Amino acid sequence: MSNPPHILVIDDEPQILRALRTILTEKQFKVTTASRGEEGLSLAAANVPDVVILDLGLPDMDGIEVCARLREWTQCPIIVLSVREGEKDKVAALDKGADDYLTKPFGIQELLARVRVALRHASRAQGAQEATVQAGPLSIDLAWHVVTRGGEEVKLTATEFKLLAYLAANRGRVLTHRSILTQVWGPADADHTEYVRVYIRQLRRKLEADPERPEYIITEPGVGYRFLADE
Amino acid sequence: MRFPALSHLLRYLAAVGLMAVTTAAFVAAGRALTPPLVALLYLLPVGLSAAVWGLGPGIASALSGFLTFNYFFIEPYHTLTVHRPSDLIMLVVFLIVAVVISQLVGSAQSGLAEAQAREREATRLYELSVALGGWHDERSIAGILARHFQTTFHAEHVELSVTTEGLFTLQQPAESAPPTRPPELSVSIQAARGVLGDIRLWRAGPPPTSAERRLLRTFASQGALALERAWLAQAESRARVLEESDRLKTAILSSVSHELRTPLSTIKAAISSLRSEEVGWDSGARADLIAAIDEESDHLNFLVGNLLDMSRLESGALQPQRGWNILSEIVGSVLQRMRRLTEQHQIEVDLPDDLPMAPVDYVQMEQVFSNLLSNSLKYAPAGTLIRIEARIQPDTSLIVQVSNQGPPVPEEHLDRIFDKFYRITAAERVSGIGLGLSICKGIVEAHGGRIWAENHEGGFAFKFTLPLDWDGAQPPPPPVEMV
Repeated sequence: MSNPPHILVIDDEPQILRALRTILTEKQFKVTTASRGEEGLSLAAANVPDVVILDLGLPDMDGIEVCARLREWTQCPIIVLSVREGEKDKVAALDKGADDYLTKPFGIQELLARVRVALRHASRAQGAQEATVQAGPLSIDLAWHVVTRGGEEVKLTATEFKLLAYLAANRGRVLTHRSILTQVWGPADADHTEYVRVYIRQLRRKLEADPERPEYIITEPGVGYRFLADE
Repeated sequence: MRFPALSHLLRYLAAVGLMAVTTAAFVAAGRALTPPLVALLYLLPVGLSAAVWGLGPGIASALSGFLTFNYFFIEPYHTLTVHRPSDLIMLVVFLIVAVVISQLVGSAQSGLAEAQAREREATRLYELSVALGGWHDERSIAGILARHFQTTFHAEHVELSVTTEGLFTLQQPAESAPPTRPPELSVSIQAARGVLGDIRLWRAGPPPTSAERRLLRTFASQGALALERAWLAQAESRARVLEESDRLKTAILSSVSHELRTPLSTIKAAISSLRSEEVGWDSGARADLIAAIDEESDHLNFLVGNLLDMSRLESGALQPQRGWNILSEIVGSVLQRMRRLTEQHQIEVDLPDDLPMAPVDYVQMEQVFSNLLSNSLKYAPAGTLIRIEARIQPDTSLIVQVSNQGPPVPEEHLDRIFDKFYRITAAERVSGIGLGLSICKGIVEAHGGRIWAENHEGGFAFKFTLPLDWDGAQPPPPPVEMV
């Protein structure tokens, strides 16, 4: 990773570009901006960024296509920006290889958190996986398949553990229903969203203090789930 | 009136034949008949021919009568010569009388036939105009026209093209291709604002008579009138819709600008006071102002979201993306998101564990709960209880209730609170555009459910139903897996 991390922002709204450039530069990032898809693609090719922030509503080409074209040659994290009613686009972009998303309008803390997660995930992908994930009172040992809550072991079924392990390994990142189903149940069950719903409820009952107001296994409406672990 | 050419000749032959038969009868009667009597009797077949077969055969009958009378009954017999001046006078008088009679009878006859034809025409026309009356869409009108053209003109095929905005061509009989040869008859549908289309008829047989051509044109102009009327009716209803949507737009604009300005004023005031450096960096006031900016921009976002939803609902783009969902998860994430807003109230959730999954759009259902909840929060006094509960009904649908201890809503408003931009209280007292509940209604109905409001003891409740049946599929049973 270059130092400081290089962020490429592709968005057609000059105000957003201005705000993001100011804020991210202030936060010690190197920032490049593009207002069109083609421009963004050639900038990325010329100087490979550490993170791409991509608006899905570009004037010249579909943001999902930009995603797909970036994925043809780079695994650098992509965070897509979309509007509230764009669930379908978000999911399509995530399934096409985007790493995370943010709904406009978003808070800058949220954006920074996503960028941090993306950078960490990218570096983790290169190095070795940590064996244990901590989230508040929860401790998930991915190697030994042991989950404890406040020091006490929590009994999970095989599927429950598989699901939790997938979420924990991707902590901080959004995971679409499809990717969870493909990973945990297999590609044949990729459309059975209800499996995920049921098992997430079971996991929350076993792990969350208040299953109706979860703190660790968070629902991303219309998209999927996100596991929040300790930083 | 249609007579094949052959029957035309036949009528002459019949007239002459009748005369021949009469003559034969007279000849058989022999000399018993005196020439004056024969002349008188000869007028009978002449009159009859004219009456039955028309003017031409009548005249033919008169002429043949004149010749046979001369040949058989005027001396010298079997010649066409006349010796006696009195016989000559008799013959000439006979001819004049016979021709005059056949002319009178024949023209009366053809007058009658023409009157009958015109009556038939009038009846056809009347039938057509009755059939066309009351229709206001071009396709129905064209269909009726094509059918009437076919029956009236005995056409084997009719093709009708309408060349107005909604360009289309219609075949009668339907679903059949027109014959390959050029049409025998065609007429354009001409109205005040130009040619609206044209009609082509295929039919074998003799060319159309002038009466038929006239009727064809009349039919076409009737069709033009009907199409014109349909167009005017459509234009009028379009104008009405435009007027209505214009009125609605004005209502939206005034309501929206009022609503948007309130949070904007707060944000502007907070930011300008933060920039003025009158507020210390570490003071509580600063934190308050920043919190206000944050909350108000969220509120602005919420308002814009509702507006967008409404416009999508209007345009029919709010199709639910269904999936089997757990209601408690939806309610939970709504409550999580609205944490700050619900601090002043007590919230109680009663969703039984064994509630089946519901085939709903997760995001839209979240929207329903958050709109019902924010409406309840707005009207129910702080510190009171808001309850969210759901039960399964005997007809295997879910009934969901969001109740509060707010003031009751007057009965006459209960139905109308789900209307767009409808508010019971004056705009200044409670914020909101008046879209939240109508969005709920739109979403619930798109899911096949029903939403209504009820007053109950000590409060007010929103209720809605959600069918559990999804295109015949029932909720999946919970999976069983051992630890």
